[in-house]
Amino acid sequence: MASQWTKLSAAMDRLYEFDREAVTTDKLQSGAKFAGLFAGEHVAATEFVIGAFFVLHGIGARDLLLGLLFGNLLAVLSWTFICAPIAVRTRLTLYWYLRKIAGPGVTFIYNIANAFLYCILAGAMISVSATAVGLLFGIPVPKLGAVLPTSLGWVLIVVVLGAAFTTVAILGFAKLSRFAEVASPWIFVVFIAGAVAVLPRLGVRPDLGNLWEVLTTKVWNGVAVAGQEKLGFWHVLFFAWFCNLAMHIGLSDMALFRYARKWTYGLYTAFGVYPGHMLAWLASGIMVAAIGREMHPGLMAYEAVGAAGVAGVLLAGWTTANPTLYRAGLALQTVTPGWPRWKITLLAGTATTILASFPVFFLKLLDYVAIYGLVLMPIGAIVFAEHWVFPRLGIEQYQAEKKGWAFNWAALAVWLGTLAVAFVLPLHLYFRWLPGWFIALTAYTALMAARRTK
Amino acid sequence: MTGRFLRALAGLLALLSLAVCLAAPVLFFLGRITEGSYKTTFLAASIVWFVFAVARGSSGKSAAAG
Repeated sequence: MASQWTKLSAAMDRLYEFDREAVTTDKLQSGAKFAGLFAGEHVAATEFVIGAFFVLHGIGARDLLLGLLFGNLLAVLSWTFICAPIAVRTRLTLYWYLRKIAGPGVTFIYNIANAFLYCILAGAMISVSATAVGLLFGIPVPKLGAVLPTSLGWVLIVVVLGAAFTTVAILGFAKLSRFAEVASPWIFVVFIAGAVAVLPRLGVRPDLGNLWEVLTTKVWNGVAVAGQEKLGFWHVLFFAWFCNLAMHIGLSDMALFRYARKWTYGLYTAFGVYPGHMLAWLASGIMVAAIGREMHPGLMAYEAVGAAGVAGVLLAGWTTANPTLYRAGLALQTVTPGWPRWKITLLAGTATTILASFPVFFLKLLDYVAIYGLVLMPIGAIVFAEHWVFPRLGIEQYQAEKKGWAFNWAALAVWLGTLAVAFVLPLHLYFRWLPGWFIALTAYTALMAARRTK
Repeated sequence: MTGRFLRALAGLLALLSLAVCLAAPVLFFLGRITEGSYKTTFLAASIVWFVFAVARGSSGKSAAAG
């Protein structure tokens, strides 16, 4: 068993070997590079769904604008004050830093959890693209509340798209990544153009004199559609804050910020979140209002932008599912040492396609995003405690590495325990991660301090 | 030198096409063009964007390789 574990751990390390060493000063990147990098992120297929759901959940216009403004600000500050400083001080990826703290066993479990969550996310992106292709063949999109596949046509489209996305991810991941860089600014333009173009349909006059009135009565009018929970300012604020929770508080973006000259480069994330998680969401909200509040990203884009809109939804799904499939494959490779990359990507693609045929993942996307962040958040708290709190309390850092532990049981117990507590917390799902983060931080510090005393 | 010029030209044309993509819905909103014209213009400008943006990337790569 022990030798099997050693083999598995060694195979896992080989996968991440290329970024094992701390980044050297000659490899650091400028602020402009970071601004450009983030500007190209955060405009994904899911933006078509998230912004539209805010309308369906009956959020008022003022609540939405203020919630997005402050929620995104909190996200930027989380990158700047939590993720970037640790990355700049260690110059390591989360994988290697977590390995020092929690041991290869916990890192392995983290990878598997990440792979599964990535597959669901990529599946949601395939589903969004399927709404665009389904439009061409007259296949109805599953209605709100649908959990299981609703028609053979839907399943067929998802399977064809899933197979196409997976094949391209296997054959030309790098090429498609370059193509995604080209597509990203255009996809953002599709959102903006679509929103502007449907304004006359909603009754906005060319002098914009009644714009606010139309937005507050016909778009974000505070009335939820039947069967959808009514959400408000705090829900929006927390959603905007946690929708990249795994990246900032969860510290995944240490992989990027380890190349930053200064921790203040975290502020450059504003170039990504404000266009993607504010303007694009507002735009998709306006577009969904123009089609009678129907959750159908393909129809929404087609009505607003025409054939280019359909292509926009398809490309947004394709270009964002591609790296997600790649990451899922990379994480899955840890359980299948020796498998070639194509076989892993095929496995991830197959799992993703099966998940994508269940419409629940894109029709409950807001809840899924909350769960995704929540599941990985305790790891961020554990790393934060070890990095900042332990030296101040005189607790020895990196014991897993120094003592050769495969599992830091305290870290694993805190991770699972925090999730168990978060599950029963009498709070809305969107708000649970915040007390959860403090619980994880305190519990991990207390457990490791108790271990020192013993 | 020619490579750099072509890359700059492709970049400029790509940016112009993106500007057209943004201008078309504004003109439609202002009532200057019809919905059909807006959608056709957007589609055509989108194709131009992809052609020149990809060309710019490729020429950059060949210049770097050269």
